[in-house]
Amino acid sequence: MSGFLRSGDEKIIITLSSQEAHVLINLTEQIIELLGEEDGGLHLSDGHTVDDLMRMVGISTNDAPPIDPVLLRLLPSAYKDAEQSAEFRRYTEHGLREKKRANAMTIREALMPQDEDWDNDSPLDVAHITTVIEVGDEISWLAGMNDIRLALAVRLDIGVEKDAKPQHEKYELMVESDPMKAVYAVYAWIGWLQESLLKLL
Amino acid sequence: MGTLTETEAKSDLRADRPWVCVVWDDPVNLMSYVTHVFILLFGFSKEKATELMMKVHVEGKAIVNSGTREEMELDVQRLHEYGLWATLQRDDEI
Repeated sequence: MSGFLRSGDEKIIITLSSQEAHVLINLTEQIIELLGEEDGGLHLSDGHTVDDLMRMVGISTNDAPPIDPVLLRLLPSAYKDAEQSAEFRRYTEHGLREKKRANAMTIREALMPQDEDWDNDSPLDVAHITTVIEVGDEISWLAGMNDIRLALAVRLDIGVEKDAKPQHEKYELMVESDPMKAVYAVYAWIGWLQESLLKLL
Repeated sequence: MGTLTETEAKSDLRADRPWVCVVWDDPVNLMSYVTHVFILLFGFSKEKATELMMKVHVEGKAIVNSGTREEMELDVQRLHEYGLWATLQRDDEI
């Protein structure tokens, strides 16, 4: 049985099939990579860029809203006004990216196979891993899973418009071979996981 | 509490606290998750957090806090960390 549970000693544990763990690890890696790609900036003679230096003090030189719709969903604008939003981004976006990357890394590290846990020869659908969620990491898991769902939702075209008919109907009607059906299944599954953790808190 | 006191308190509040933090509905975020984040960030009771979450869900948005511009920027920043769609504005722009 996959999902979050309280163990006998009150610790929260997660059990996943190795296949499920692979899916989650892969998604967290995509989030980490996506959030790490900040624009290059002007190169200095020592190999650093102006951006690198600004970043050291937590300031981004790029203050435009992200063009990638996934990034825009993860890093939304704080103001309706473009100028005020840009100012806010300059001082906060780098920190926000780092927080989100840290959440994704918490999940990834907890699920990464220890040498003795996983055996490449064991069938993927049989092997399970069980990991203790460190006290205090629950919220990183919740936020990290939420970011994954937000990213998948953009790809699935689950927008913020009110009129959209329930998405599950649309995806349930899809033929099995449609790759988006599989993406939706992952999206729904992570929502279920998130809910199973929330029930324990 | 007397009516006069309440009115006075309200006008004081308005003068000092001209900015609000607004959370917008996003169908991705689970209702239980949004409630949990409200409790975590604002220290609301379960009832108050649930009420605000329902307001976001039904009306499309809700004011979750008010204060100085700096305070509201911090709230928005923290809400974004948790993946909630939040903005700030002057309270007379609502």
